[in-house]
Amino acid sequence: MAKKTYDLLFKLLLIGDSGVGKTCILFRFSDDAFSTTFISTIGIDFKIKTVELRGKKIKLQIWDTAGQERFHTITTSYYRGAMGIMLVYDITNEKTFENIVKWLRNIDEHANEDVEKMILGNKSDMEEKRVVSTEKGEAIAREHGIRFMETSAKANINIDRAFSELAEAILDKTHGKEPQDAADRVTVNIPRERNSNRCC
Amino acid sequence: MSILRKKLSEFDDILNADEIDTVSLGKICFHGVPDEPGGLRPLCWKLLLNYLPPKRSSWLETLKRKRELYNTFIEDLIVMPGESNAEDKERVDVTLHDHPLNLNPDSKWQTYFKDNEVLLQIDKDVRRLCPDISFFQQGTDYPCQKIVSANGQQRLHNRVQHTVLKSANVERKGLGITKIAVSVRKAAEDYAPLTEGGEAHWEVLERILFLYAKLNPGQGYVQGMNEIVGPIYHAFACDPDPTWRKHAEADTFFCFTNLMAEIRDFFIKTLDEAEFGINSMMSKLTNQVRANDPDVWLRLHQQELCPQYYSFRWLTLLLSQEFPLPDVMRIWDSLFADESRFSFLIHICCAMILLLRDQLLTGDFAANVKLLQNFPSMDIQIVLSKAAALAGKTL
Ligand SMILES: Nc1nc2c(ncn2[C@@H]2O[C@H](COP(=O)(O)OP(=O)(O)OP(=O)(O)O)[C@@H](O)[C@H]2O)c(=O)[nH]1
Ligand SMILES: [Mg+2]
Repeated sequence: MAKKTYDLLFKLLLIGDSGVGKTCILFRFSDDAFSTTFISTIGIDFKIKTVELRGKKIKLQIWDTAGQERFHTITTSYYRGAMGIMLVYDITNEKTFENIVKWLRNIDEHANEDVEKMILGNKSDMEEKRVVSTEKGEAIAREHGIRFMETSAKANINIDRAFSELAEAILDKTHGKEPQDAADRVTVNIPRERNSNRCC
Repeated sequence: MSILRKKLSEFDDILNADEIDTVSLGKICFHGVPDEPGGLRPLCWKLLLNYLPPKRSSWLETLKRKRELYNTFIEDLIVMPGESNAEDKERVDVTLHDHPLNLNPDSKWQTYFKDNEVLLQIDKDVRRLCPDISFFQQGTDYPCQKIVSANGQQRLHNRVQHTVLKSANVERKGLGITKIAVSVRKAAEDYAPLTEGGEAHWEVLERILFLYAKLNPGQGYVQGMNEIVGPIYHAFACDPDPTWRKHAEADTFFCFTNLMAEIRDFFIKTLDEAEFGINSMMSKLTNQVRANDPDVWLRLHQQELCPQYYSFRWLTLLLSQEFPLPDVMRIWDSLFADESRFSFLIHICCAMILLLRDQLLTGDFAANVKLLQNFPSMDIQIVLSKAAALAGKTL
């Protein structure tokens, strides 16, 4: 087995309504580029990026989910194993902001209790089209005791910062715990329902 | 006689019969419909998707009826509130009895706003379709006259506010690079609506999908349907025979509707667990992998690499996002010809996995997910032959 090239492995998840820019955010973070021509995500996509935090090499395994309602049964099965979840809305679209509450409920239902969360108000480059004020975003985050940031995948604002803050929060939590063994295998704790052919 | 010539003459024999033998047609299409002459594939698909009846003599009447019906759909469903009486040319004040803030569910405005939510999603997706080829941004030779000469009022995308962004780099996703593109690829900002009198192909698709959603309210529009309608429309709109090409929109609508009738369960969440729902398709695939290559199955199983991670998209979209468009067309020849639809789809997916065997057996979890989510480019014939072998057929 090859020597492992990282100290810790964090599994992150991106959720939020369709079109808020989840795929663009992830693409900006992993490839440092922006493209307007992503097709809509069907099901779930996956990227890896290794970052360094406090002298530790951390491998981030990031899952990008589809926003539309139809895909929820598929996508919620990924919540359980996630250590960090980014909830994304679009500051130019009120509805996507209102739905953050719905996404939070989804997390409560399906994710680990101690999962780290962060709310992102994306497309902050479109100031002239803004309908959700920064204060509103901050308020809902405060109300739920969650970190908050406004981002732009297009203008590359706060994207790296968002991921490293989330990773750092997870690191704080794992501090003291043993680094994971069997590092090439991933803890994707899919809920094991008996009589269900949901998984392999 | 060359193999191609022989094949073409076989197609001719089958297609020129007064009553087309659909079994023979299926058999021959299963091996692929030749790209040339261009009219062959659209004709075969129309037959395989049960749009055209086997009896040639009834085609004229069928097509006339269907195309007229499609026209009435446009009339009835894309008419905006308050614009229904074009007769006296004067706009009646609809707010007299009905107004945008009317909460009555029967209010035309309520419907209008609800429709716009659907439309917004469709609009986002048709503009994100096949960014690597220029086809969908180009103007159609046959725009819908009722719509393009109405001062923009009837244009669907005008109903939903949209911001078109500028960007330089185009990501390969979706239908991929292709020889089909007639001119150079355009950048994303070129998904702009054409001016009065003209209409881009993506606008036509937007209308087809919107009408489908309106006519199938139980299902509505689900993301991914754009990827199903795209290749069909592309095939029909490139028909070299203008008498067919002219009606690409209406013909696509009905063929798409027929195809959706067969795969709609994939798109309905509540049917995920049903017999033909997506979960059962995925477990069929897993079982087939297990039966044919226990090592690979075990590997994926041990890595907890669930079929949802990759095959959900493969199956739902009939592989349209995994291969370049010409390959997708070739795959669909076989899929549409498959008498027990869509068991051959499972065979293809299984073949794809088995072909990656060596890499999968050495790759770690992350490498394997990546590999399966981005299927490496490969001669499609290799994939299909392997799939046929799994199905106990030859290709
Ligand atoms: N102006 C601006 N536009 C953005 C930004 N991020 C994404 N977009 C645009 O928003 C649209 C949707 O972006 P995606 O990343 O595909 O959205 P998504 O959340 O992944 O959507 P689904 O896959 O359908 O769930 C695209 O047309 C992007 O160009 C941003 O930061 N600023
Ligand atoms: Mg996406």
